Amino acid sequence: MTGNEAASSAAGIPLRPFYAPGAGGRDYAEIGDPGAYPYTRGRIGPPAARTRRRRGWIHRELSGEGSPRRSNEQLRALLARGALGIDVIGDNPTMSALDPDHPMCTPAVGTTGVSLCRKQDFIELVAGIPLDEITLSHSLPPAFALAGQYLASPCHGIDPRVLRGSAIQPPLYSEDCSYSTFLPFGTRMRLTLDSIVFALREMPRFHAFLEDTYYISDGGLDVVEEMSLGLLEIREVCRRLLARGLPVDSFAPRIAILVNCRMDLFEEIAKIRATRRMFARMMREEFGATDPRSWSVNIAVHTSGLTLTAAQPANNIVRGAVQALAMAMAGVQGLEISAFDEPFRTPSAIAHQVAIRTQQVIQTETNVTAVEDPLGGSWYLESLTDELEGRIDAAVRQIEALGDVGTLVETGYFRNIFLHGMDRHSRAVQSGELRMVGVNEHVIAPEDDWFLRDIAEQRFEPDYAHVESIRAWRPTRDDVALRAGLEHVREASADPEADLMGPIVAALDADATIGEITGCLREGLGLPGDPFEFAARRQAPGIRT
Amino acid sequence: MTGPPAGPSAPSAGSGRPGRVVIGTLGLDQHEVGAMAISRILIRHGYEVIYLGRFNTPERLTGAAEQEDADLVGVSIHSWEYTAYADELLARCQELGIGLVFGGSVLTERDQAELLGRGADAVFGPYASEATMLRQIDAVVRRVRGGDQLAGQVVIVTGAAHGLGRAYALELCRQGAAVVADDIDEAALKEVTDAAADLPGSVHAVVCDVTGSDAPRTMLDAALRRYGQLHGLVSNAGLLRSGPILRLDDSDLHLLLEVHVTAPFRLLRAIGGYWRAESKAGRAVEASVVLTTSAAGLYGFRAEAAYSAAKAAVAMLARVGADELGRYGATVNAVAPVARTRLTEWLGEAPPNPGDDPLAADHVAPAIAWLLGPAARNITGRVLEVGNSCLPRRRTYCCLRCSPARHRR
Repeated sequence: MTGNEAASSAAGIPLRPFYAPGAGGRDYAEIGDPGAYPYTRGRIGPPAARTRRRRGWIHRELSGEGSPRRSNEQLRALLARGALGIDVIGDNPTMSALDPDHPMCTPAVGTTGVSLCRKQDFIELVAGIPLDEITLSHSLPPAFALAGQYLASPCHGIDPRVLRGSAIQPPLYSEDCSYSTFLPFGTRMRLTLDSIVFALREMPRFHAFLEDTYYISDGGLDVVEEMSLGLLEIREVCRRLLARGLPVDSFAPRIAILVNCRMDLFEEIAKIRATRRMFARMMREEFGATDPRSWSVNIAVHTSGLTLTAAQPANNIVRGAVQALAMAMAGVQGLEISAFDEPFRTPSAIAHQVAIRTQQVIQTETNVTAVEDPLGGSWYLESLTDELEGRIDAAVRQIEALGDVGTLVETGYFRNIFLHGMDRHSRAVQSGELRMVGVNEHVIAPEDDWFLRDIAEQRFEPDYAHVESIRAWRPTRDDVALRAGLEHVREASADPEADLMGPIVAALDADATIGEITGCLREGLGLPGDPFEFAARRQAPGIRT
Repeated sequence: MTGPPAGPSAPSAGSGRPGRVVIGTLGLDQHEVGAMAISRILIRHGYEVIYLGRFNTPERLTGAAEQEDADLVGVSIHSWEYTAYADELLARCQELGIGLVFGGSVLTERDQAELLGRGADAVFGPYASEATMLRQIDAVVRRVRGGDQLAGQVVIVTGAAHGLGRAYALELCRQGAAVVADDIDEAALKEVTDAAADLPGSVHAVVCDVTGSDAPRTMLDAALRRYGQLHGLVSNAGLLRSGPILRLDDSDLHLLLEVHVTAPFRLLRAIGGYWRAESKAGRAVEASVVLTTSAAGLYGFRAEAAYSAAKAAVAMLARVGADELGRYGATVNAVAPVARTRLTEWLGEAPPNPGDDPLAADHVAPAIAWLLGPAARNITGRVLEVGNSCLPRRRTYCCLRCSPARHRR
């Protein structure tokens, strides 16, 4: 970039050469102290919990590979290295709510996450994990994850009422952002609402409503698009919970947000601060929450995989470190670094260790957590925080003015936003407008690009043994209980007023699989049980462009 | 689901795109970033994309390709699932005689080599450049179409509204080329575009006077905007001003030199510059230029001294041009056509049935197509006389256009 071009942030906010008093944050009441409304400067817990030991954030890493037993070993290894929480993601079949022995699934079992399809799988996954001490976050279809964890923890002597963690609720965007469960919007929303209500009752310490803006934004959305879509989904779900008669203060404290973090660090920090402030105002002023715990939202972050490069993978360690440092200074509650081998695979053991150690080095050696919101009061950062708040708010209002959100989902409005973001990103990389070291600048020849590649390129086979064990297990189930459980799911699905969560928990407990239960949800709606017939019907037979 | 939104520069639908491609992901691999990106690149460069999105099997991808008569299947890969499908997909594509291209950030160099070894036509790893992907996909389309000798080729033809130029444009189209057709006669140019509507290639009309100093830039820009690339030039625009030396005035002299010498010179300079830049950027250039000289330029016609001199200059332009542009991958030749056109009214009336006319412009056109095609890569710096009895009869060229591969479907 030459000196003549006007600088701007990654989201296109024009930047001045430097910032001076009065640029932003003029009214300190609009910012507030850390832990005080409107929580711009951070959501710090009650003073009693703020011992020296507990300062900082929950260190965790995305995990899950192969069978539940193999993933369990991986979770234990992470905890042994000092992880303070767990985030577990399913493989492609699990994320699609399909069973590993479905013919479309077998080639994908366990290669991009853990394979989970039955109660026994959840029991094996969390065996020996101190669920009463650490948080377990799910990147899984939420109703099944909550049901599975609810059923599994008593088997290990843990009362579900003490469970902490979070479950991603993706009713608006999952179909368009790589995590299709082949269910129509109405059913996805019912699953979200019913599972949140279920968890409020049965797992009251659990954040059953995690708004995940990571997976929707890492195709190429900017921070304004990311947070406006995230807040839009929160607002939609909140309105529907209120419409069911739940008081806002009964569920708002159980909302958390998992955000992305790209490479424009000040913009990302400002995004976190703006989001905390917007959430607080929204809850207090729009939804009428009176409990301060409803105002201060818990924010965790997953650093962007899209910013990592297949070229020169060691550079990704640096990217993860600077992103994590920025997020530590933003005062997030949980942090996951996309590991250096992310462009190639789910994290290897050594990549996990490097990522955890990166967090530990920042936490223990840099002293950045000694003071809350250390960057607060920066004229630049406060200005950026104000600007982002205005832009995100305007974007939310603009979309809400378009009418019913469910209609926008079903007519592909959001899908077009995601596709546009992907295209914009790939064009910017191709043209060099988005500068990436090792990709469009400072490129080295492939034969010289060997460092860490041997690790990054390691592969493992789909877990065919697990597929066989599921096949062998099916006929051993109690047929009567199984049929009854599935029939209840089918009936509940057909009745728009019925609760889905009770029948799902009961069916899972009766050894029904996630694929079978989801099939019955579809059948209750008059759709084919096998999602590929449903998917074929939903998808236009090919778009000529 | 909806397809990728049309880009601002996406050309309208129609026949004669550089290629037709089916794109999707395999199995449960739901990450569409790569599929989207390559679709949009291809659309921007005039390809027709049939976007199948997610949850595809080899059967579904190749079924759509067969039904849509696509040239190739493109698979975007974000998960190792593809290994379970690759063999079936390769076999199905080979059976259909269509191309298969893989792309994805998880494809290591080892994976790429392995897929190529198993029969994939092209494999792109992370950050393959747009130009590389386009060039390779172009080549796959050309191979697949086989019989369409000029499929994927983009060629500028000047003076394309009438006579020889019109015959060239249509013949190139018939052989699958994308033609940027230039002329000052807009209405006649429109007729050429209409006549090409059902041909395998396509015509993009540019109304532009070749004597304008910015004409080469206008044509080059039009080609790049519409098709993203340029492989050939047929400099054909011409006119005649007759008169003995003692009577031809300056304005006629200047006009003849402008149209026949200055204009092709400027075209060579501008387009040669583009090929040089492509070549310097490391992209393989396979380009061809055909200039138009005349028997007048080779032997001299009485009362055509200025015209003859100008045409003689063109022949020399071809020889020096071949020498200078050869290093950038371009051939340069000149043809001296003999045909019944507006410039050769002295040849008299054509016989009632055009098929019986040995002087029809249609007989020259296949030679021009041949010079632009892969078979003439080693022919450069030559001056060829084509027309009347010294040109091969039209049926001689049937084998070029009608090779068995053309009828593969």
